[in-house]
Amino acid sequence: MQDKREFSWSVIFLWMALFTFGLIAIYSATQGEVAQFLPTYIQENFFRQSLWISISLVVLIVIQFVPPRTFQEGAYLFYIVSIILMIITLLFGVEISGSRSWLQIGPMNLQTGEITKIATILAAASYLTNRRDISSENLKTALITVLIFAIPIILLVLQNETGVAIVYLGILPVVLFWSGLPYGISALMVSPAIIVYFTILDWRLGIIAALISTIAIFLLQRRVWLTVTSLVFGVLVIVGAEVALNQVLQPHQRARIESFANPTLDPLGAGWNVLQAKTAIGSGGFQGKGFMEGTQTQLRFLPEQWTDFIFCVVGEEFGFLGASTLILLYSLLFLKLLSMAANHKHPFAQLMIVSVTFLYFTHFIVNIGSATALLPIIGIPLPFISYGGSAFLTNTILLAICLNLDYNKRSLSIYR
Amino acid sequence: MSVNQKSKASIRVLQVIIIGGLLIMLGRIFHLQILDYETYSPLSMQNSLRMEVVNPARGLIYDRNGTIIVENQPIYTILITPSLFELESLPLLADLLQMEEDIVLNQVEQAQQYSWHRSSRLFTEVSFEVFSEIQENLWQLPGIGHLIESKRNYPANVLASHANGYLSEANREEYLRDEHIRLGDNIGRSGLEMTYENLLRGEKGTSYIRVNAFGQALGSYDNGSLNIAPTKGADLITTIDADLQALAETLMENKQGGLVAMDPHTGSILSIVSAPQFDLNKLAGRMDQSYWQDLNSDRYTPLYNRAISSRQPPGSTFKPFMGLVGLHFGLITPDWEIYNPGYYLRGRRYNDIADPGYYNLNKAIEMSSNTYFFWLMDRIASRGLLNQWSNLIKDFGMGPINHIDLPYERTGIVPDSTYMNSTFGERRWGLGDLISLGVGQGMVSVSPLQMAVATSSLANGGYRVQPHIVSAIRHSDGKIQYTNPELTKIEWVRSENIELIKEAMKDALLNGGSRYYGAIPGIEIAGKTGTAQNPHGEDHGWFIAFAPADNPQIAIAVLMENSGFGSISATPIASLLIEQYLTGTTTRQHIYDHVINFKPELSDSE
Repeated sequence: MQDKREFSWSVIFLWMALFTFGLIAIYSATQGEVAQFLPTYIQENFFRQSLWISISLVVLIVIQFVPPRTFQEGAYLFYIVSIILMIITLLFGVEISGSRSWLQIGPMNLQTGEITKIATILAAASYLTNRRDISSENLKTALITVLIFAIPIILLVLQNETGVAIVYLGILPVVLFWSGLPYGISALMVSPAIIVYFTILDWRLGIIAALISTIAIFLLQRRVWLTVTSLVFGVLVIVGAEVALNQVLQPHQRARIESFANPTLDPLGAGWNVLQAKTAIGSGGFQGKGFMEGTQTQLRFLPEQWTDFIFCVVGEEFGFLGASTLILLYSLLFLKLLSMAANHKHPFAQLMIVSVTFLYFTHFIVNIGSATALLPIIGIPLPFISYGGSAFLTNTILLAICLNLDYNKRSLSIYR
Repeated sequence: MSVNQKSKASIRVLQVIIIGGLLIMLGRIFHLQILDYETYSPLSMQNSLRMEVVNPARGLIYDRNGTIIVENQPIYTILITPSLFELESLPLLADLLQMEEDIVLNQVEQAQQYSWHRSSRLFTEVSFEVFSEIQENLWQLPGIGHLIESKRNYPANVLASHANGYLSEANREEYLRDEHIRLGDNIGRSGLEMTYENLLRGEKGTSYIRVNAFGQALGSYDNGSLNIAPTKGADLITTIDADLQALAETLMENKQGGLVAMDPHTGSILSIVSAPQFDLNKLAGRMDQSYWQDLNSDRYTPLYNRAISSRQPPGSTFKPFMGLVGLHFGLITPDWEIYNPGYYLRGRRYNDIADPGYYNLNKAIEMSSNTYFFWLMDRIASRGLLNQWSNLIKDFGMGPINHIDLPYERTGIVPDSTYMNSTFGERRWGLGDLISLGVGQGMVSVSPLQMAVATSSLANGGYRVQPHIVSAIRHSDGKIQYTNPELTKIEWVRSENIELIKEAMKDALLNGGSRYYGAIPGIEIAGKTGTAQNPHGEDHGWFIAFAPADNPQIAIAVLMENSGFGSISATPIASLLIEQYLTGTTTRQHIYDHVINFKPELSDSE
């Protein structure tokens, strides 16, 4: 065993700081004046979250005593089991607000999609660790990695949990990039999301985005076929997005997607949540309205303010000071995790830590992006802050695995 | 490139991505919270604060004895904003409303058709119990709101529909014109409600209320420090005698006509009825639309105020005033007699149904002989006194507007040469068109109000009264403002002449045709019947009177359209009302029954 001082205590402190922040926000969002407008089971969220945090703490400690090699060796089995669990959920699960993603096991409701996050990251990391670097000449490894991700994504879409599926799409390019996928192709993987985003704002911006990304790809990797592919692909993405917006989607679906950019088009319909979220954050000002004093929060103007819109609670009641502190805490966590990966010798551990970092990062960007109307509203939680036991436990387990791998970096041999 | 070197480069890229993302988010919140704070702070205030206009209580209307005749009654309304409403809460809503889901759904769909985003009334005038149940459960009913409004209520046994008047919603033009009126406000459309609209209305207040996202009120903001209390409308204290009015309304049921009873010394209206009446209760609150349409298409025009707007020849009730004018001109003396052969001959034959014989002024009024007054009018016209005559008659209040505090008062017609010229053309009229004026027929026409004003001046010894219904206005601060209308002496009328006329009118009740239904044992009445020829149908009956004759407390004029002889139709009503007013009760059941069972032969046109 190594010196206890080599354990990354700072990550634990950041973890605790974040969930404390979260508890305060959940308390205000469900126990303040607003409680009178909420059903009892939501008022209890604060206590349930506290319980889950306690459970997670125990799990975190237990994981520290697991031999580090176990994660890599058990990855495939874990992956297969979790996929089977998801299929069972799809067939026999409990439907909660439109999505069939919960499996009832005894007294517990388990979101099997959360477990699959862990399994998929482990499986992909394990698979890629045993391969040579991906090169543009040999994309078979990359395709198999994509397949590992594709199975849970498809299942999530079938469960009507599209929001969670987006998280996988956020990690995949990073995983492939880390495993040696050339810069140009990595950029090509990310570019559609950016092009679609700008196309939703305005198709002309979409074209500009396509051109810029093509130029960037050309500069990164001077291959003619890649550049041409990028350009053609970019145009196809714009046309596809426009067709989807104008032809495929119903007007109200389109309004829902576009409302983040222009909520006043339909202030009482699709734009309502966007407008209220922006108003909550904006009216917080520099120092906020004070704990349990936010009118938007306490008078129930925010939807799902204990989960997807919890950042609005922080923004309204603690202002720019509180919100930027929260963002800084995340920054410290992400950068600390990245440096853990950089300092690690073992490729599995590196890939694992990088994947986890970007899993958090994707959640972070999408959640706060939704709340601040930078992105269309996509309902996914803010890691360690939002209410949600399964998500908290999953995120903590992932963190615990990273800590374990980091702590054992000397004993984990590069050579098998 | 070694594995390590490559990792270092990749780490740099990822660090840049993460730092980039963090900077974007920091920039975004800086933008929202610092740069756009001024935009969003008021927005959140507006969200959670609702400025409500607090409607003042409309002023009440009292009768002369302090009985409330018009008051306010709260009505409870449930509102819906369809875009916020969730169909899942329909069963709960229907349950709270104690209604079938289908019915509620139907109303919801109607509201959706009206507007998706604006709130509209889902159900009005729900019971207080239902209202409070819904109020308590509002948080479970997104898109549902509530409203307390008020409507006029008529607690006394009196409608006085033409005197009180009705309210209806202000139209766009009206609310744009008057800053005190908001869209949806009800304003007075007739009667006192219209005349005194500005006083009755009061001043609106404002209050700031904390609301949640469902529009549910959570109490006042900042302990109500910003609130402005509404000012209650002024109360009107009227001169109406509720008991007298109630009896008058009962007696005028199923009739067509009008009556005005007043205090002859002050012009205070004791009772004013126009028949047929309409039911103010059905026009209060949410107007009963089918009833409203019926009223407007009713051929007997119930909305028309016959008491102050009708124009009918006064018939023989005109004779006492003719007598005064004749004495003033010196054309007749009290003792001067004329022989009545049963007609008056001048170019043609003017009939007189009074018994043939010699008539002086007293007898001509008492027995209502026409010949005497045909002759008198003949003299007046022949001597070119028509315009003077017209002015003297108008001095009694017949013809001109008397400025009663009700809307839609109309002038009568007391022709002078200008009027005749404009009607027939210059020099296209002559004596033949004037003689019948002497007995209140022909061109001359008046309203019951004008006759009551004229009768009052006989009763009070020659003073022109200012008719009025409101005697005092009680403002919200408690100050009482009295209207105190003034009396004007009619200069040319001499009291000894009035005494002569009064004697004749007393005799009319003792010996004339009106004695059967008019005389009240123990009360001396001075009165005169009239029957106005009606070319369109049955004649109109008139009766004017004041009592007690030597100390008059009430003057009354009754017009009964299409009812034949005044002595049968109008006289009993006036007599019963006089008895009621002076003794507090009516004793003559047979006369009461006669009036109740009396059916006029209503014509198709006015």
